[in-house]
Amino acid sequence: MQWTQDFAEKRLSDMQMPNIPLTATQPTPVAVSPDWFPKYKKLCHEFMRSLTDSVQELALMNLSRDEFMELIMGRTLPVNLSIRFRTPLLWGGAMDVDNLFMCFTFPHSQCLDRFIIEQAGNETVWLPSPEKKIYLPLHSTLAGNGGNATADRLSQFAATMNAGRRP
Amino acid sequence: MTQQELIETLTNRGAFFASACHPGQIKLLNINLQTLNVATIPNYMGEFYQVCGGAWLGTGYVFGPNEFSYNGHHPIPSILDINKDLTNLKALHGKTIFGRNDLFWFAFDALGECTMLDNLNLNVLRKYSDPYRAIYECLIGGKI
Repeated sequence: MQWTQDFAEKRLSDMQMPNIPLTATQPTPVAVSPDWFPKYKKLCHEFMRSLTDSVQELALMNLSRDEFMELIMGRTLPVNLSIRFRTPLLWGGAMDVDNLFMCFTFPHSQCLDRFIIEQAGNETVWLPSPEKKIYLPLHSTLAGNGGNATADRLSQFAATMNAGRRP
Repeated sequence: MTQQELIETLTNRGAFFASACHPGQIKLLNINLQTLNVATIPNYMGEFYQVCGGAWLGTGYVFGPNEFSYNGHHPIPSILDINKDLTNLKALHGKTIFGRNDLFWFAFDALGECTMLDNLNLNVLRKYSDPYRAIYECLIGGKI
């Protein structure tokens, strides 16, 4: 059954993710280069390093200092985080940092997989595409103003990282 | 690949393993899986669970009989909880999802045959004659 945008939004809302914008795509398979996997891995590391501009969101993800550093150094993705394509490679998505976003694996990435799979066979597929590089559920982004010590500390780390990268 | 080779290789690659399970837990799990009309735990997976009750490497996860967590993060769901959520997916009929990474899902069927599935539409991408190879590829595919 072809989903309307309203239906797709309701389905996401049922999955407790009502705040994700959707884009419509025609799922036409395209050829993917044979060396896509090493390129994908490299891109994921590039994406992780680019997250120094997303400290506000990272501060809400309950990462330890070590996990945060490993992430923005582009070394290791902490447990329960996923990097997803906005438009999958197989459907013509670009191998580009702008085509990626990060979210929690459980429950969000697992539910987003299910959201896309439920549309299998449809002419138009609605794909989740958060506004920012990191998707957080609504209750996280609405957290009260309980202090900014963590965000400040992480901002300091990020600023140090960026300064170290400048030629 | 033997189970020991699998565990050794994954350990060397930095995988995290959940605590081993008691055979009684696996029997109970099978009863619960039967109520979902999905494949029950094959022998090799039962033996794997008696060594480790699930595993994680990067974005790759093998679900265990119980949920497990690491460093206070959101728990990784049990294989039962994962498959309870998927009962409406007709393409999975008779299969049980045992693992995932950010690109693929992994399943076994009633005969214990493992498959790699596309996480966009559940198309079968690969069939495995060696189930430990399937577990290995599920986890190593997540090591980015």
